[in-house]
Amino acid sequence: MTTAIPAAGWTGALLGLAASLVLAVLGFRAQRRPDAVHHRQLHRLVWLVLGGAALSMLALEVALLTDNFALAYVAENHTRSSSLLFTITTAWSGLGGSLVLWALVLAGYTAVVARQVRSTEDRLGTGALAIMGIVGVFFFGLITTVANPFEILANPPADGPGPNPLLRDHLLVAFHPPMLYLGYVGFTVPFAFAMSALLLRRGGVEWLRRTRRANLVAWSFLSGGLVLGAWWSYEVLGWGGYWAWDPVENAALLPWLVATAFVHSSVVQVKRGMLQAWNFVLVIATFALTIFGTFLTRSAVTQSVHNFTQSGIGPPLLGFFVLVLGGGFTLFALRGERVASLSRPESLASREGAFLVNNLLLSLFAFVVLLGTTYPMLVEAVTGAQVSVGRPYFDRMAVPIAFGLLLAMGVGPFTPYRHATAGVLWARLRYPLLAASAAAAALVLAGVRSAGVVTVVFLAVAMAGATVRQLAVGAPGRRPRDLLRLVTGQRAYWGGQLAHLGVALVAVVIAVSGAMADRATVTLDRGETTRFAGYSVTFERSEQHRLPDRLVTDAHIVYRSGGKVVRVDEPRLNSFPGRPRAVGTPSVWTTPTRDIYVALADLQPERVTLNLYRYPLMVWMWVGGLLVVAGGFWALSGRIRRRDESTVPATEEVRSDA
Amino acid sequence: MRSRAVNLGIVIIAMALLAVTAVGLLIGRSGETDRAYELQQRLRCPVCTSVSIAESQSDTAVAMRRVVEEQVAAGRSDKQIIEYFRARYGDWVLIDPPARGRTLLVWLLPAVVALAGLAAVLAHARRAPPPAGDLSPADRARVDAALARARPAEEEP
Repeated sequence: MTTAIPAAGWTGALLGLAASLVLAVLGFRAQRRPDAVHHRQLHRLVWLVLGGAALSMLALEVALLTDNFALAYVAENHTRSSSLLFTITTAWSGLGGSLVLWALVLAGYTAVVARQVRSTEDRLGTGALAIMGIVGVFFFGLITTVANPFEILANPPADGPGPNPLLRDHLLVAFHPPMLYLGYVGFTVPFAFAMSALLLRRGGVEWLRRTRRANLVAWSFLSGGLVLGAWWSYEVLGWGGYWAWDPVENAALLPWLVATAFVHSSVVQVKRGMLQAWNFVLVIATFALTIFGTFLTRSAVTQSVHNFTQSGIGPPLLGFFVLVLGGGFTLFALRGERVASLSRPESLASREGAFLVNNLLLSLFAFVVLLGTTYPMLVEAVTGAQVSVGRPYFDRMAVPIAFGLLLAMGVGPFTPYRHATAGVLWARLRYPLLAASAAAAALVLAGVRSAGVVTVVFLAVAMAGATVRQLAVGAPGRRPRDLLRLVTGQRAYWGGQLAHLGVALVAVVIAVSGAMADRATVTLDRGETTRFAGYSVTFERSEQHRLPDRLVTDAHIVYRSGGKVVRVDEPRLNSFPGRPRAVGTPSVWTTPTRDIYVALADLQPERVTLNLYRYPLMVWMWVGGLLVVAGGFWALSGRIRRRDESTVPATEEVRSDA
Repeated sequence: MRSRAVNLGIVIIAMALLAVTAVGLLIGRSGETDRAYELQQRLRCPVCTSVSIAESQSDTAVAMRRVVEEQVAAGRSDKQIIEYFRARYGDWVLIDPPARGRTLLVWLLPAVVALAGLAAVLAHARRAPPPAGDLSPADRARVDAALARARPAEEEP
């Protein structure tokens, strides 16, 4: 019994590897000679890939839930005392298991693609399946070789150390990694179709239309994964922030930036037939960056909670990255001429022009992040010297680019295609500009002295105002039903606007919580009181609680206002058996106007040192993130008429130039 | 006539509001900044992963913060304090890379790429298609016929 489960998992991985390999071979053959292969063969192979991945994942979960310590992965990452939730999430809290999840998600996307391929005459589809087969070969290959979670131990231990303590403290561990994977892995689909189109020497918008859905799904999930990651960092790590420009965070941001550029530039190609070649570049770059990000986070080049163990996974990932980049761009260079679009924007003062500016800014943003992240490694590799590139650099670079993007978001969606006159723009933007000016003046009169905050609020209000105006002008009437009709009628456009509003809200909160935060480090004896953010803060007592898997030492911090107790926070230290360092968990008191965040710097029975932070409006950052994701899914929900693709006109959704 | 008055009114009110904003921001700039905190944000915590000493709760970071505060209180300049840490920990401690020496490129390259990108976008937009007017009627008809043939083929994948 102890070896049956690992054997099943291993068999699943091998099955996935073999089926992916055959899928790649048959897929390419079907693309070259459609009648040499029957599409049922391809479908069966895809089912085998999916079955193999599911079997692997299931075996891993069963092994974890049955405390099967004969499995090396379980012995290294699990402990008997782990709760049910964290036992399940342990399946992706280590290297091998996280790759099994990756392979499962990839197999899922492959199955969705296969459903679209209803005959081998669909050469674009069979080629895409072949490319996805190659990617599958790589990931199943990792699982069966350098990152094998199914190794069987001759002498199983009685218990294990459990996952990294940071990964068993918060519910978000159950959501952040799967969401991020649904995003990361989803970009394989547009990549596969783009490669297939290049192999067929077929430009046009077919590959874009067929991958729009997968691309938006991936983009929405990656957005959600990023926001949840930031939230997790804020709620768990206890350093008082949500984004540190850590290489790991950057690794997830990079594909998001390029994919966001792609989401926009693909609209230009579908609507106006421009930027065809550029779209290929963006798609190859997005996929390559997901592999590069995995390399950064999973190999030993950076230190973080995502880098689980020293393993041999770095070189193969780097090799695959080089293959994707080299192969992708070689193919693009050979075939690029045939797919280049001939039409160009008539004027930069147009929707196309705004899209170009958006793409320029997002690409520049991605370049800056990539440069800042890899620069220290490059310098060390070349000269052996150690340098650092951190937050001050990224902040200084990101702020002007972000202002530019906000401006583009405020103008672009309200600019007509082809050519916009100043008069049209003025008519659409004059009231929003008036509202934005009023908001800026009101902030200054209210005592805000941060130029950054005032600028961001100005841009955000202008954009929100323009959106409301567009809604009011475009709707057939003023009743809620009319507005709903407009918003459900043009889902791509209004989903985009919802995402823009979310981004603007996030930008406002980033500016406000950065510029108007209060920080204090205080040391309190038991019973002693200090003042912070208008409250009297008292260290009442410290207690110890023994839980099944850990020893918790908390500090009772009491907030009083006007003599009345308004809140008791319990930041705590968790000590896990077998782990030398205790892990602190901060406590966050959230209200709509502000968060008060308290983290333990030092805790003794009679004395505590606290880091206290007050962040205005913080909760709205997560709301903004949610809006972005909701916008993505709203845009997605529009076209369910996939079945009869041939009859769906391309220009269905964005026609709101009113 | 009325719309022109409305436009003028909007311009004047918006200008006035923006003037209030600008004046408020300019006179509100108080010189009081937390120098120690600013310096702490530029120094890397030696025992953490990519955060500054301002953001870390490790003992080392706390000790380094204290040194920064002492030196600020002693009236040393920003440059002297940064140099003090650089001499002890090397370039690595500067999480805000200086725009010279080994980290010059990290500042230069984005500017180069930004200019190149801007030039590319402008060039792309400039090269407008030739005006359609100088085609002969016969050519025009051929183009239209070809378009009519190509369009349905492209629109229906």
